[in-house]
Amino acid sequence: MSFAKTLKGLGLGFATAAALTLAAQAQAKEIKVGVIYDYTGPLAAGGSSLQALGAKIMIDYFNSKGGVEGYKINAIYSDAQSKPEIAINEAVRLIEQEKVDMLLGFYSSAQCVPVSAKVDALKKFMWITTCISPAVLKDRHLEYVFRPQPHGGMFGTASPDFVAHYAKSKLGTDPKDLRVAIIHEDGPYGSGVAAGNEAGSKTHGFKIVLKEGYAATAPDLSSLVTKLKRARPDVIFHTGYNPDITLFLRQSRELGLRWKALIGHGAGYGVPDKLYATFGDDANYIYNVDPVSIWLVDPKTLAAGLGEVTQMVGAEYKKAHPDVKAFSAHVGMAASNTYTFFDNVLPRAIKNHGGFTPDALRQAAAATDIPVGGTLMGYGVKFQPKDASMSGQNERAAPVVVQYIDGKVKIVWPVPLQTVDPVMPLPKTSPYFK
Amino acid sequence: MDGIFDIYLVEALVNGLLFGGVLALLSLGLNLIFGVVDVIWICYAELVMFGMYTMYWLNGVYEIHILLSALAAIGVVAILGLLVHVLVIAPILGSPPINQLLATGGLLFFFQSVATLMWGIEFKNLGLRLPILEYNEMYFSYARLLAFGVALTGMVALYLFLTRTYIGAAIRAISQDREIMVLMGVDSRKVYWVTALVGGGLAGLASCLLVLQYDVHPFVGITFGPITFIICVLGGLGNMLGGFIGAFILSLIISVGGLYAELEWGYVMAFVFFIVMMFIRPQGLLGNK
Repeated sequence: MSFAKTLKGLGLGFATAAALTLAAQAQAKEIKVGVIYDYTGPLAAGGSSLQALGAKIMIDYFNSKGGVEGYKINAIYSDAQSKPEIAINEAVRLIEQEKVDMLLGFYSSAQCVPVSAKVDALKKFMWITTCISPAVLKDRHLEYVFRPQPHGGMFGTASPDFVAHYAKSKLGTDPKDLRVAIIHEDGPYGSGVAAGNEAGSKTHGFKIVLKEGYAATAPDLSSLVTKLKRARPDVIFHTGYNPDITLFLRQSRELGLRWKALIGHGAGYGVPDKLYATFGDDANYIYNVDPVSIWLVDPKTLAAGLGEVTQMVGAEYKKAHPDVKAFSAHVGMAASNTYTFFDNVLPRAIKNHGGFTPDALRQAAAATDIPVGGTLMGYGVKFQPKDASMSGQNERAAPVVVQYIDGKVKIVWPVPLQTVDPVMPLPKTSPYFK
Repeated sequence: MDGIFDIYLVEALVNGLLFGGVLALLSLGLNLIFGVVDVIWICYAELVMFGMYTMYWLNGVYEIHILLSALAAIGVVAILGLLVHVLVIAPILGSPPINQLLATGGLLFFFQSVATLMWGIEFKNLGLRLPILEYNEMYFSYARLLAFGVALTGMVALYLFLTRTYIGAAIRAISQDREIMVLMGVDSRKVYWVTALVGGGLAGLASCLLVLQYDVHPFVGITFGPITFIICVLGGLGNMLGGFIGAFILSLIISVGGLYAELEWGYVMAFVFFIVMMFIRPQGLLGNK
């Protein structure tokens, strides 16, 4: 072989090696994110698919801007199929086989409780956009799990606070004479919120005339409805998924259950379009406790630029669901919590902690300090420290109470955020009028 | 606590009976098929789901009269039942029971996935708000009253079909002795086809009534499949009258138990009753040893 040929060969070799190295670097410039929601099964239509849409809109948004700190987000979407065991298997598969850098999502608390323990034991990072059960974090001191969402206990106490505030002026009843019932699906989500309802009701001195859980897949709730009729509550606090809440509302109407106020707590109650499609005007005046819908937040109260992001999410939501009439808070919730991670936590992890290893992400998340107005939902973000009983929980998050009036969503609590005076008690036009 | 014989107890009893009607109707077809073909259709509740979707599309979307939609739903599910038998069950009739169970179990997931792909995951309903029936401060579900009446009628019609028609007699004969009847010249294949058609038709009938009370979605079968199967076993697999009685016993335990204890205890009591009965009468309430 001549010297020239040898040089040529060497040159080609170097060029190939350089090209391969560059390609590898280009490939490495991405963060692999496992996104887990329920795309099938009963929870999908109960709100999970809308949450998944919100997260995807935001991931696509960051990718369209070139990624985060030059890193493209490679999202691997995975279906938990509304089953906790599938959620665990998918989380482990994404971590061990797909080698994702972190997990994001999770709608169902029944999935979150076991998955968070598993992921933390594997020392991988998990960013929860949705599930609210206190049991996910309470007294577990998880190091790698963070939840910007308010927790179920906050949901549970918001509704009694709201009712107590208006008991005298709207219901003409002293809070101590107010009869309330607490009913809930019996998973970690429903039980967590119901515990908050009970604590809040006791704080305000309400008479709890019934507190009962049921399986979300129960084919019949007529006994529960009959029992509620016998207990004669003025106000019902209800936490459920779907189709249990539609079954409850349908059987309540058929069996003559009446109330002065019905307050739902997220999930099935967070999809007003569905409630109106099923019950028509009967869905009017139902209350729901949820993190505020991003479209109800005054953009002027938010940090610069967030209003435009909210508009973008709305436009994409409309593209995906052209028939939507009332924007569900579910989409905005996941979008906001996903935005917080990619806009605030991940950049700090890369810049201050050298990348997005689980420890870098954990340190960046733990140091998060976003003031009020710094997220699409308006509340700030600061996580409880490792030694706190709810370590990893956003202590600045808070839900609001909304009321559905003529197909529109109105904020009725807390008073400073109120967009309408609550319609209470239920007017005579409702079949549930008491 | 109010008196034992309060109006709420009466209401719970009546609602339990009416709920029993829904369950009885569901168990009729499954029992018929098992009694004749000797294969458990784990996917039976998924046939009901297809009937509910047929009702939703015809009546809810295309606004075809509800009775015509119901007839179409019964026809669609009957044909689906026949197809299940011809395409899936017939080729494995001679296989061990576990293989048959796995095949119909697999069909369950297949049906759920097909429905998800075709119609999405949204909950759908007819948007009907049926009249409220009130008597002496007690309220009863119109849809359930209808289901109860149809279940009774269906039971009587099935009884007449099985006892007064030639093919009905052949079905009963096959269910008593499959081998001998073939030797006596009965075309067992034809009998199986008719059984699958009628069993599917009963699932279609149940779907027409369930869609008045429940939203339809690809996984609605989860709500009814297990309890329908338990009722059939309680009554004696393949024994239609046993299943019918079992449905009312379980629904009454659930309803009244759920009134005096927590709702879930009603289900616990019903399932404890089922387990105890399995020890006392493993063949079911009216099943043969």
